[in-house]
Amino acid sequence: MGIAASAAGPEALAWIVRMMPYGWISTAILLLPFTVALATPLIGRGNRRRTTWLMTGTAGVCLVLATLLFPAIADGEVLRQTFAWAPGLGLEFTLRVDGLTWLFLILVSGIGLLVGIYATYYMPPEYPLVRFFSLLLGFMGAMLGIVLSGNVIQLVFFWELTSLFSFLLIGYWHHGKSARDAARTALIVTVTGGLCLLAGVLVLAHITGSYDVDAILAAGGRIRASPLYLPALVLILLGAFTKSAQVPFHFWLPQAMSAPTPVSAYLHSATMVKAGVFLLLRFWPVLAGTEPWFWIVGGVGLATMLVGAWAATFQHDMKAILAYSTISHLGLITMLAGLGSTLGVVAAIFHTVNHATFKASMFMAVGAVDHETGTRDLRRLGGLRHVMPITATLAVIAGAAMAGVPLLNGFLSKEMFFAVALGANHGLVLDTLTVLVAVAAAALGVTYSLRLVGGAFFGPLRHDYPREPHEPPRWMRFPIGILALACLAVGIFPAWVVGPLLRAAALSVLGPQLPPYNLALWHGLTMPMLMSVIAFVAGCVLYVLGRRRIAARDDAPLIGWTSALHGFERVLAFLTTTLPDLQQRVFPSRKLQVQLLLVVLLAGVFGFLAVQPPPAPVAMHGMHVDPAFALLWLLGIACAIGAATQAKFQRMAALILTAGTGLVVCITFVWLSAPDLAVTQLVVESITTVLLLLGLRWLPKRIRELAPLSPVARYHRVRDAVVAIGIGVGLASLAYAVMNHLVADSASRFYLEQALPGGGGRNVVNVILVDFRAMDTLGEITVLSVVALTVFALLWRFRPAAESIGAPRARGSTPGQAEPHTDRDPRAWADQLAIPGFLILLIAPVIALFALHLFLRGHDLPGGGFVAGISVTMTLIVLYMAAGARWVEARLKVAPARWIGAGLLLAIASGLAAVVLGDPFLTAYHGHWTLPVLGDVPYNSALLFDFGVFAVVSGASALMLVVLAHQSLRRVVPAPDAVRDAGEAES
Amino acid sequence: MNVLATVPGWVALTIGALVLAGALLVCIGSVGLLRLDSFYRRVHAPTLGTTLGMYLVLVGTIVFFWAGEGRPALHVILIGVCVTVTTPISLMLLARAALERDRREGAAGIPAANPPETGADGGE
Repeated sequence: MGIAASAAGPEALAWIVRMMPYGWISTAILLLPFTVALATPLIGRGNRRRTTWLMTGTAGVCLVLATLLFPAIADGEVLRQTFAWAPGLGLEFTLRVDGLTWLFLILVSGIGLLVGIYATYYMPPEYPLVRFFSLLLGFMGAMLGIVLSGNVIQLVFFWELTSLFSFLLIGYWHHGKSARDAARTALIVTVTGGLCLLAGVLVLAHITGSYDVDAILAAGGRIRASPLYLPALVLILLGAFTKSAQVPFHFWLPQAMSAPTPVSAYLHSATMVKAGVFLLLRFWPVLAGTEPWFWIVGGVGLATMLVGAWAATFQHDMKAILAYSTISHLGLITMLAGLGSTLGVVAAIFHTVNHATFKASMFMAVGAVDHETGTRDLRRLGGLRHVMPITATLAVIAGAAMAGVPLLNGFLSKEMFFAVALGANHGLVLDTLTVLVAVAAAALGVTYSLRLVGGAFFGPLRHDYPREPHEPPRWMRFPIGILALACLAVGIFPAWVVGPLLRAAALSVLGPQLPPYNLALWHGLTMPMLMSVIAFVAGCVLYVLGRRRIAARDDAPLIGWTSALHGFERVLAFLTTTLPDLQQRVFPSRKLQVQLLLVVLLAGVFGFLAVQPPPAPVAMHGMHVDPAFALLWLLGIACAIGAATQAKFQRMAALILTAGTGLVVCITFVWLSAPDLAVTQLVVESITTVLLLLGLRWLPKRIRELAPLSPVARYHRVRDAVVAIGIGVGLASLAYAVMNHLVADSASRFYLEQALPGGGGRNVVNVILVDFRAMDTLGEITVLSVVALTVFALLWRFRPAAESIGAPRARGSTPGQAEPHTDRDPRAWADQLAIPGFLILLIAPVIALFALHLFLRGHDLPGGGFVAGISVTMTLIVLYMAAGARWVEARLKVAPARWIGAGLLLAIASGLAAVVLGDPFLTAYHGHWTLPVLGDVPYNSALLFDFGVFAVVSGASALMLVVLAHQSLRRVVPAPDAVRDAGEAES
Repeated sequence: MNVLATVPGWVALTIGALVLAGALLVCIGSVGLLRLDSFYRRVHAPTLGTTLGMYLVLVGTIVFFWAGEGRPALHVILIGVCVTVTTPISLMLLARAALERDRREGAAGIPAANPPETGADGGE
């Protein structure tokens, strides 16, 4: 790639750069993984081969596409592709490619490809590959999204997305408690960091006035001079440190080793944990070079490097060694970025690449050992080179690179690191400390690499493995081999292999400040060389002298007593247990009523404050009240008051009275010329009544012998009455205020005038719902779906309280439900209801037809998706009432959750169709078709959206209905005979 | 109300008479519901309104629209059909529920349930 570019003539190159649709290439790189991730479950289910091809093919295509981009950015140029996102907020969706981005694109897609191949052979056949690869592809897309982001909000979005995918992948084997705990810990730590990052970039955007990365990068001086620099820096660093597992947030990474090894190799060593490093490098030009940057980043990096290396030395689980080693190396990179020298940045980028190659191959080699022997414990391993010679060779190469042995890439970046450490100029004590820690960490690196490779592959062959080990399949060794080869190639011919890449990446960060550096294997007898030798010898000595003692220990000395993980768990326990307990002690709110009261009072207080000072009342002019209308309202008020007085003991009567009030409201709408609202109100009223009736039976029975009222109870009653009256007065005055508040120039005139020419419909309400304010409607149906699913989740396992088990017999149970009672012959019950049941069955299709009618005419006349959806549910209710839940579900496939999902997807798809056609999201099209027989037929694409609304509404209400109806099936556990009889009666 | 002003007087009178007669029947039914003594008696009273009363109002409506707007408002008949079909359903369900409860509570004067073999008794 880089080689080809430099070999081609400049004219040819310029031509290629001109002709390539670079913007679309970067778009394709971002979209492809997400698209395939969504498609994988559909295409690849049950076919491992096809699934593998989807994964590796996608990663491969991304790799090739990314390679094509190189000529355009090789000399420090920036490619940008911008889409309108929220122009009103100054937000654009920008894809930005520069040298650093390109390097990460290659890392993410390249290692993704290798991990895909590896995982196919690693994952046990009993686990579905579809889910695994789908998640892995989703992660790949999110990671590519981070590095491609040209907008900081977008960056944070993809950043959090990687945390989510990491959570799902760590918890892939979710039956294991350790995997679940690890996934949760990682999620909490990284997502919290992501939120800090969001706050940080918002501060940055506040300073610079732009969310655009290029604009922020151009405003370095202004940012560093701003008083908000320090808060912004700390917040962004919290994001970077949590993601890159820096002390003291490093504890999630060793825990995350519960994930399948391909995930560890991909996310937790090569790519995701490098996102923090990427962030440090991305904002290095604007944030670095100050005292706080040096102390925080340099200090944390130094500490992490040392702690990680020390802890890694004393682990026995091979993956744990690698995890702590990863922490140590990430600390090294962070420290390089923190020292503030330009050579440090070059070294950081170089080591990022090198670490990704040798650590990923090391993880895969360890995974192969685990796969073959069934254990990863170094104390139970040994001599595997006799049975797995090829894997052993590859592991030796990768381990040597990790230890920094010459001829391998790890050596080169370590040399560069030593040079940077020696070149630091922050006072004698600090410089000496840096150099000493650098050598110590390098020595420990040698020791744990020796332990890892020596412990597993050398020594006498053992015969007590859980499985009989032999060489893993060829394609499992292939990715390890490729990466080991890369280690060698970079190590031997650095300038030739990574020279152009490194230059492009460093150029994009440093620009014209790019320092002179020399990528060569041999620099002569220099100080860094001497440090390398010292570290190497010290590491070997430590290994030879100390390995028995290390093997006998269970924890790392000096730091074994501290545990960041325990600290984290203690904080978590405080937040989730102690704090709520405390809060409950201060506010006695274990009771629902008290909580409700507090909420209502708070709302009242804020509502009262909101209208201070009260707006001047407008004089009501010439109010003419029709006596019939007044009478109607008196009736409605009587019903409402009746319902309130009856609610305590006569719930059924109260419910009917409430329905009466609803009907009065409905007639009021007709009276005030709002037929649309009237129809909706009528249908909603009916379905609400039925749902309430179904719920009514679970309320406890009346207890007739009540003890005399205690003073406390009396006080409660008075209090509740005051609150209730207060709410009533408040709502009434609110309504009064709204009706008397003259709006000078409201939007309603626009809607009234534009509904037909702009929206193609005469029903203004419906046109507003599905066209003008379709985005609002989309939000509303989403909320409705969430509510329905929540109701379902709360009720589907619900068992009624003990006092309502022996529920009132005739009252409360809807009489129409032909469910068998245990104490009588079910057949007789069904027979008695035969005639009404039959009549209801006749009516059901009529209601369904009515629903269709309401739906189709919705755009021009009262109706629409919402009311049609509820009407369909009415059909279902009527069927359930007539024939019972079992009968209906034996004949109709009632799958409301699918309706909800399909409706939401359809609504979104109809909106996206407009985007594809080049218009804003949710644009509707309308016009006329002239058909042969029917003549002029109007069409309107908003109908599709409305159908989505229809499906969501019917699904949501049906879901709630079904879960309530099933309560009655589950209420009593009938004797086996009764079940059989019921089955016969209904069949 | 201006529609009534435009039609001939006898038409307006007819419409008024039909609607008022219907309303009167509904009113009688309501009074019956209030005054009759047992549930089984009371359940019959409102049917006066839902059958003949409703038909009279419907005919009045049809004439009203026919005379006023010059088109036969035949879709109003649909209302009649729907009410006619649904009223007996709720009536039967109510009566069944009452019967069921009375039998359980052992109220006097309630006929025993028929054995299942004879099927439903449509007597109520």
